[in-house]
Amino acid sequence: MSLLEEVLVHLHDVAIGYDVPLIEDINIEVIAGDVIAVLGPSGIGKTTLLRTIAGLVRPLEGDVELAVPSRGGLGYIPQRLGLIGNLTVRDNVEMGTRVSLSRWHLPFFPVPGKQRRIAERAMEDLDILTLADQPVRILSGGQQRRVATAKTVAQRPKLVLADEFLGELDDDNVEIVMETVRQAIDAQNSAMIMVEHHEELAKEVANRIWRIKDGRLIEELVR
Amino acid sequence: MNRRLSLTVVVVLGLALLTFLNLVGDWGRLTGGMSNLGVFFRESLWPPDWSVLEPQSYPVCEARFEFTCSVAWLGMVETIKIAFVATVIGFVVALPLSVMAASNLSPFEIAVPTRILLAAMRSLPSIIWAVLFMIIFDMGTLAGICAMSFYTVGYLGKLQFESMEGIKNAPLEAAKAMGMTRTEKAWLVAIPESANQLLSHLLFMFEYNVRHGTVIGLVGAGGIGLYLNTYLKLAQYDKVVALLVVVFLVVVVIDFVSMVLRSAVTEEGDVERPSWSSLFLPAAISSTLHPTPMLKDASLKESE
Repeated sequence: MSLLEEVLVHLHDVAIGYDVPLIEDINIEVIAGDVIAVLGPSGIGKTTLLRTIAGLVRPLEGDVELAVPSRGGLGYIPQRLGLIGNLTVRDNVEMGTRVSLSRWHLPFFPVPGKQRRIAERAMEDLDILTLADQPVRILSGGQQRRVATAKTVAQRPKLVLADEFLGELDDDNVEIVMETVRQAIDAQNSAMIMVEHHEELAKEVANRIWRIKDGRLIEELVR
Repeated sequence: MNRRLSLTVVVVLGLALLTFLNLVGDWGRLTGGMSNLGVFFRESLWPPDWSVLEPQSYPVCEARFEFTCSVAWLGMVETIKIAFVATVIGFVVALPLSVMAASNLSPFEIAVPTRILLAAMRSLPSIIWAVLFMIIFDMGTLAGICAMSFYTVGYLGKLQFESMEGIKNAPLEAAKAMGMTRTEKAWLVAIPESANQLLSHLLFMFEYNVRHGTVIGLVGAGGIGLYLNTYLKLAQYDKVVALLVVVFLVVVVIDFVSMVLRSAVTEEGDVERPSWSSLFLPAAISSTLHPTPMLKDASLKESE
């Protein structure tokens, strides 16, 4: 690691799990610009690893150090996307931009023009601008995934944690989504950790692979 | 149904039956009860006295439609007004309290005292609140509004915090990871996510308050209950029945309006709009009369 590289996440001797450890002795760093794919069979602890980094689950052992702002620094796309079905696509995407505002900007008021334009740009990039005024609950699974991605892109976080967010997307849409995410990562000098089931796709989009096997995290360098 | 569940159902039903038999000790009192009811129904209740829909003799009615000077109209309109104001006040106060009481939105030390406060507010029935407020404000509409509002806060607050606790975890986790404040999580995530239930509970509460207006009116807190009380005291039961039919029809209309409003925020609402028949007929019969239309936004679902 060169001195100029910006470390965004550092895990020291971390063990993760709920009652019993799922993965132990995790010692890893995430550098700005990284796109990391986490691979492994179902139930092995991939989602728990993301949730631990997101601060939603406490590690059983060790420390998780995040060098990102506590407000808006981390974008999280859960497996079930975390969208609000009763709100429109626009409302959901604009929600991502709210964390760039002060804590004292009351949520009862709409976001300012600058944030609205950022959200519109994200929707345009992900080809969902025409759906902006539709409630999310009526969209297809693939469209909802693009909305969740647009929300995170509009948030402009330093670290994106995405749990199988490419599922239900066809090849063309995977390309659109990954292109937009890649541009956002480059523009913000941020990083992304994504849980992925398809190994070939993971190797195509990621520069690092974390493979989870026998309760250990093994790093594989892709490029 | 598995064996353990069947056994539990049998035990609970058996216990209920034993308790019932134990509570009713003297079955002899039921002798002739049904015939007594028949006599009371024929001689005092039926037919209803529809003069309650005619204008009162004093003050002289100057309205364009005379029935708007009738006891039923005046009483019902006042009851609806009291119920409307009390439901709105109750909702506005209950919403922040329910956010504070929801365990997924507030810490334990805030949630528990708020739940105790809500429990205290609904543990007194609205008729007792009405008596207390009558002591403060004297008989009339203000006491009725205050009594209903207090009870609404306690009752609606509980329904609302339970709805908020029942929302999916993923949106809240995403909001927490993003660094949203508690107010943002409540306003932008929990309230819209549970909007259907919140609206449903709000409309139910309005309907409940309209029905309950007849009860708190009995203690002088205004509305149609005041007239019911008068007719009961004068043993004019045929007029009581006529007023109760009016209350029933108003409740049916509110129920229909509530179904239409709720359909705006439900996924099912994108598919199906309610019909009048669904209010009175079982679902199986109603659905044959009004077959479910095609999915309104089918084109969106298929566009991908």
